[in-house]
Amino acid sequence: MANTLILAEGAGHYLDFGIFHISVTNALIMGAMIVLFVLAVVIPFPHHKADDDSDSR
Amino acid sequence: MSAVADTAPARAVPAASAPSPDRTSWTAWARYRITHTVPEGQWLPDRQPSYVASWIYVFGMATLVSLFIVIGSGVVLALGGSEWWHTSGVGHFFNSTHLWSVEIFFAVMAIHLWGKFWMAAWRGGRSLTWMTGMIALLAAVGTGFTGYLSQTNFDAQWIGAQAKDGLNSVGLGAWFNALNPAAALTLHIVVLPLAVGVIVIMHVILVRRHGVVPPIGAVPLIGAVPPIGAQEPTS
Repeated sequence: MANTLILAEGAGHYLDFGIFHISVTNALIMGAMIVLFVLAVVIPFPHHKADDDSDSR
Repeated sequence: MSAVADTAPARAVPAASAPSPDRTSWTAWARYRITHTVPEGQWLPDRQPSYVASWIYVFGMATLVSLFIVIGSGVVLALGGSEWWHTSGVGHFFNSTHLWSVEIFFAVMAIHLWGKFWMAAWRGGRSLTWMTGMIALLAAVGTGFTGYLSQTNFDAQWIGAQAKDGLNSVGLGAWFNALNPAAALTLHIVVLPLAVGVIVIMHVILVRRHGVVPPIGAVPLIGAVPPIGAQEPTS
């Protein structure tokens, strides 16, 4: 049992904030998702030149 | 696909204004529902309003594409079996393809959800579109959970035991044993994917029927066709 606990404790890295316990990998993935969401909102979508021409008519 | 001015997608006749079929003929009724649920020209549109020209509108299609890869790689895994996907190079490849397409599927689906939440995408008669999306999310989570036993390793055993304890604690253990690999696998590869597939098809049909939700505060141009939800008969 003790060996099992040692193996489990050695698997991965974790962040602890009180009752909040999360692996570094999961935290990084969630952070990347939030960054991706923000980038999707702020980065302009590429336009075709034909669209600009048709919009100006 | 090209972006155009802030008008609703062009369509000849709104579906709700077409005459209803003879109720005595189920074939006429089925034909009417199939051809009028989505307005003509809106099944595969090649033009969209200009506000759709944003990266945040890409994530719905990204979710669909990753779902196709999830299903395709899952079908290959089902053909080979666990002895194959654990021991051969090609099996490892499809095993990893299945895993990472699922990771991407949930990531882009979550971003799609965030985008639609902050757009209040249930506006304009789109409440069913929103609800089917949420049900699809729940069904997909269930599908993911039932897939852990397919690892057929100690990780699968540990996750199954945790799931069993969790389900027992809320009284669901009498109906479903999370440590039963046959039940979990059948749910994972047949029942729940079928549910996800049907709900996603309904979701996409509703998106095509009502069009993409405009930004909050957008003023429609004079002559633009309003969403179908605003024209639906109340009876």
